[in-house]
Amino acid sequence: MSKNISVSLHHITRVEGHGNIVLDVKNGTIEKLQWQVPEAPRFFEAMLKGRDYNELRPITSRICGICSIGHSLASLKATEDALNVEISKQSALFRRLAINGENMQSHILHVGYLAAPDLFGVGSVFPLVGSKHQDTLLKIVKLHRLSNEMSDLICGRTTHPIRLVVGGFSLLPTKKQLIKLKEDLHLAIKTSQDVANVVSTVANNFPNFSRETEYIALKSDDEYAFYDGKIASTDTGIHSDPKKYESVMQEYVVPQSTAKYAKHNRESYMVGALARFNLNSSQLHPIAKQVAKMFNLKSINFNPFMNNVAQLVEFVHNIEDSILLIDKLTNNGVKPERPVKAKKTSGRGVGIVEVPRGILVHDYSIKNQKCVEANCVIPTNQNHANIQKDMEKLVPQIMDKPQKEIELNLEMLVRAYDPCISCSTHYLDVKFVDS
Amino acid sequence: MKQEIKTISQNEMGIFVNKLIQNDHYEVVGVKSKGERFVFDELEDANELRLDYDVTILPPKKYFLPQYEKLMDFDLKKNFDVKTKFDNKPRIIIGVHPYDIVALTQTDRVYLDDQKDDFYKKRRENTIIIGIDIQKVSERSFSASLGTHITDTGFDLMLTNLGNKYAITIGSQKGKLLLNQNASTDEATDDEIKKIAKIHIELPSKYKKKLKVTDENELSSLLVANYENALWEERSDRCLECSSCTMVCPTCYCYDVKDEVSLNLEDGTRLRTWDGCLLRDFTKVGSGEVFRDEIKDRYRHRFFRKGNYLTQRYGFIACVGCGRCSTACLPDIADPCDVINELHSFGGKGNKDKFFLKQQIDFLEKGTIHVPRKATITRIEKLTDSETLYEIELDDKKPLGHKPGQFVELSLFGIGEAPFGISTGPSQNSKFELVVRKVGNLTSKLATLKVGDSVGIRGPLGNGFDVKSLEGKHLLFVSGGTGIIPMRSLIEYCLDKKNRDKFKYIKILYGAKRPCEVLFQKEINEWEKCLDVSCRLTVDTCSGGECWVGSVGLITTLFPKLKVERIDPKNTIAIVIGPPVMYKFVIKCLQTLGVPEKNILVSLERRMKCGVGKCGHCQINGIYVCREGPVFNYADIKGLPEAFE
Amino acid sequence: MKKPRVAFFDFASCEGCQLQIADLEEEILDLINIVDVVSFREVMKEHSDDYDIAIIEGSIMRPIDEGRLKEIRENAKILVALGACATIGGINKIRNQWTPSEVKKEVYGNYNLKGNDFFDVFQTKAVDEVVKVDYNIHGCPINRDEFKKVITSIAMGKNPEIPNYPVCVECKKNENICLFELGKFCLGPITRAGCNSICPTNGSPCDGCRGILKKPEVECINDILERYNLDYEEMKRRCNIYNYGKEVCK
Repeated sequence: MSKNISVSLHHITRVEGHGNIVLDVKNGTIEKLQWQVPEAPRFFEAMLKGRDYNELRPITSRICGICSIGHSLASLKATEDALNVEISKQSALFRRLAINGENMQSHILHVGYLAAPDLFGVGSVFPLVGSKHQDTLLKIVKLHRLSNEMSDLICGRTTHPIRLVVGGFSLLPTKKQLIKLKEDLHLAIKTSQDVANVVSTVANNFPNFSRETEYIALKSDDEYAFYDGKIASTDTGIHSDPKKYESVMQEYVVPQSTAKYAKHNRESYMVGALARFNLNSSQLHPIAKQVAKMFNLKSINFNPFMNNVAQLVEFVHNIEDSILLIDKLTNNGVKPERPVKAKKTSGRGVGIVEVPRGILVHDYSIKNQKCVEANCVIPTNQNHANIQKDMEKLVPQIMDKPQKEIELNLEMLVRAYDPCISCSTHYLDVKFVDS
Repeated sequence: MKQEIKTISQNEMGIFVNKLIQNDHYEVVGVKSKGERFVFDELEDANELRLDYDVTILPPKKYFLPQYEKLMDFDLKKNFDVKTKFDNKPRIIIGVHPYDIVALTQTDRVYLDDQKDDFYKKRRENTIIIGIDIQKVSERSFSASLGTHITDTGFDLMLTNLGNKYAITIGSQKGKLLLNQNASTDEATDDEIKKIAKIHIELPSKYKKKLKVTDENELSSLLVANYENALWEERSDRCLECSSCTMVCPTCYCYDVKDEVSLNLEDGTRLRTWDGCLLRDFTKVGSGEVFRDEIKDRYRHRFFRKGNYLTQRYGFIACVGCGRCSTACLPDIADPCDVINELHSFGGKGNKDKFFLKQQIDFLEKGTIHVPRKATITRIEKLTDSETLYEIELDDKKPLGHKPGQFVELSLFGIGEAPFGISTGPSQNSKFELVVRKVGNLTSKLATLKVGDSVGIRGPLGNGFDVKSLEGKHLLFVSGGTGIIPMRSLIEYCLDKKNRDKFKYIKILYGAKRPCEVLFQKEINEWEKCLDVSCRLTVDTCSGGECWVGSVGLITTLFPKLKVERIDPKNTIAIVIGPPVMYKFVIKCLQTLGVPEKNILVSLERRMKCGVGKCGHCQINGIYVCREGPVFNYADIKGLPEAFE
Repeated sequence: MKKPRVAFFDFASCEGCQLQIADLEEEILDLINIVDVVSFREVMKEHSDDYDIAIIEGSIMRPIDEGRLKEIRENAKILVALGACATIGGINKIRNQWTPSEVKKEVYGNYNLKGNDFFDVFQTKAVDEVVKVDYNIHGCPINRDEFKKVITSIAMGKNPEIPNYPVCVECKKNENICLFELGKFCLGPITRAGCNSICPTNGSPCDGCRGILKKPEVECINDILERYNLDYEEMKRRCNIYNYGKEVCK
């Protein structure tokens, strides 16, 4: 069949940051198919040059508005690793709460506000107001509010956290506040199950698509890894030295993108909720497992559209996990603690955490308390190549469909990755010339 | 006065406090630690109490004049729907130091004066104060110099730490009842009473900082003598203009009022919040003018308020020596002790009454001073491109009852309030007129209203013209720009058939920027028709196409003609209203004519926000324009450096 | 009264300020009741170039962005700068201490970027360095309450009141321990308030994200540094996190 298609989707909507899709089909042959990232580069690496180690966290937080807590934690872990700062057990528990809060906020925002409109056949959540889905929408808003309130409580603010500082926290919530939060989290489990139920009724609107690829995420013996763990791949297993992350995450520049691309064992790999699920699903908490079952999500799943479902599963897991964390914290009583001081003034440190969109690495070299070299590997960067490869497989399968549908499918694919494009252009690895 | 004194063991004291905390009737607050510092905060358990504190970050004024306080809720869906809710929660404050108690009694004088603030009053009535004698003197405090380190009034109960027990001095029936119902106490023995006295006597020796001037009259006169001292500028050069000094001050009480509307554009609240006279916008009016623009003047203003303006008004030094301001001031220039002692080294005696004006004030408004009355716009007439006349009628159909020269605060819910001089003469008619120039938010919004729309009115406020004093005199009205608006109120009164006989010749001088900005041309034509009335108009500039028969030139160019007319200066009263820059020049002309200073009346514009002498924004040195003004006798205020700049 | 039509646009930023609008939660329903949101790429597919109010997030970094912004200004009756990147340039200006070619070389190495618009950057500009800005909503990120205040003000036809006084005013009202007393350098005394002193309240010094109000006298700075035993270099560095090029101190 010969067909001409010309798709140019400029600035994909309902994603964070700017991305374009260019598709040019002549006589049934794909002449051009490109996932472009035109976002203005922000040169964060240059900003860090000469900065005091205490300033790296607040500056790198500004890489991304959605996962600023994740960037903050990766930054602190890298700084603390470099300067030999060992945070208290209590601080580590609070940081896990912080990462749960952000993951919840980001996932419910993505599933509820950004991806759901496609499933309900509308252009945004606004038309859902007053529709038969209003009740579900209000539940989503409630869960989103709770996630933000949780981050406000633990981090001082949900976007660009304040309380997260080198060595611990600048201020801690009180026991009373934590107990109130726990009550709210308990109520949220039921609410999120309700939302999952509704989403499961429209889940068949996710295209049935599959492409075998490599998944990379943190893995830990103790828990479904977010805050701590080792780099693991579905292809190559565990890579135990975090400082050698670059041998796994191999980044390269392409002309259509101000963000870099990455590959490892194959020509592309995927990170994020689905990658974590594929690697760690046995460690999910019980109700999260039930939700996965509801959607028949099993590892290893090769359908990128199911990333949305994996996010929903993780959302429930984060709630269950937070309740357990609060129990641990309140059982001990919240002790007033001052941030632990740095023992060294120079060194290199690597901080790796799982943020909503996948594995995130910050790598700093610090000399006399000042940053001299920095590198970060951003989740969305690691997904760009996989998005391109998915498109290359998806387009021939849907070429017969009307152009509108092709466009929608391509947009949905990009959205499924929940790309954080502003984030991915903000950090490109660089070695400073020592001045 | 002999006070009843009890004692209570440390242990019983804890039980007493916990009993109060467990009693749901009360909110119990006390001094708690916050890091290395102390704060008043709600108590969950008696063992949180830190009665050994030196000073708290904020004084307990936050319980009487909260940082943010809702004055009223309004509903914008309805035409005029206002609800006021008072904080009626009974509260017990434990651990108030004597200087903070003194500060509260000072604030009472302002907030519980002839225009009581109901919010403050309710909070005062519902609060029980349990004081504590100072155990640890704060580094920066000099309260002993001011005698505020101890007090025998202003509290319900006062604790003194005697080591193994507390002595409790009973200050009120309320306090006595509370103690009887909740604590087991003993009568204080003579020895114990002596011990309290000893503690009081020995306390001053623990202070590092001492004032060299402690008498209020001496301080007042020292300040006046040094009004122009270079010290103000030298110190204020380093000022960050953050007003932290006033925020933490127990005797500062100035506030700002703002309307906030929720995102549905339906519900809103009128909030008041602490304001500070060190902030530049403190004196900024709708037209953008800032009356105390230089930091030197704002810096000096704070000290003059403490040691002269309020001192002359109320008879006390409005500083209790707590030292909070000097702790809070980063460049360390705010310490009253340092400033006063430095002034002392310069010495000097000034007329301490100089910046203050004693005047009888009429207050007509009853009830809460904040809530406006509902009124309706009954007529709108566009006078010029920027000025519009609004005829307004109170919905209760009662006359406003104003004197010429008084003003009202006009409210538009969701936008705010602004003062306007009343433009019509007093009458039995329930309608009055305001003429409004479109300059800011409120006036822009007003421009969108229609006949039949509601507005809020507070007033009449301020001191108008003492019309009796004008009787039997020639009257010379001099107005520039929008000054004609309030002036019309007096002119109408004087030209009223009932009153015309009481006055001799009437001459009206009026200057506008351009012909198209001339207000009340119709009325002026009518006035001119009256016997013994002359009107002279001038414009600053007149461009080619404009039709104009009057003079061209500044208002001062009209005066030489008066000289020719041989007015009788000694028997003439001149009434001058115009933009701030006008006064200096016009007054000079009047003096040249030979009009005595005491025969010159002026009406001044400042940021009159509360209208009842509390919020502090309209002050000219020691006087409140909203209370003692806006009409003044020139002779009374010519000595105020801030009056005419 | 016709509802004003509102469009959101983003330039170089983390998009965290637009996220604050999504974070209004239930109140978003009120928002879309009082204004028609006609373009908001982050959360909606629909887009229209017919709008009254343009809300701009982000700094301007490239000729292609400058052109786009000028077009937006032409279309909009009211233009609002949203967040520090837009109002003052914010952290995007830190890189202005180097030339664009220096920065590009450091970041992309020797990779050939010639003729590629995406990579064509100039020195970071705030929105008002390119077009006229009617109102600023300051902060990194913006304060949701202030966003609401500005939007309700515009919808009611009044000028939003943005505080003209420093963060200390709010910090004092919040009864925080002054961070200088804790040995930290805080920009609160010279930074525009409106954030409700959120950073000091959470134990962290102010970094000046809402812009500098006043440049203090040298004597004043010296007094403070001496009184609290603080380092001049640290102060300089801290001042240029958000306010690079403002010359707060010499």
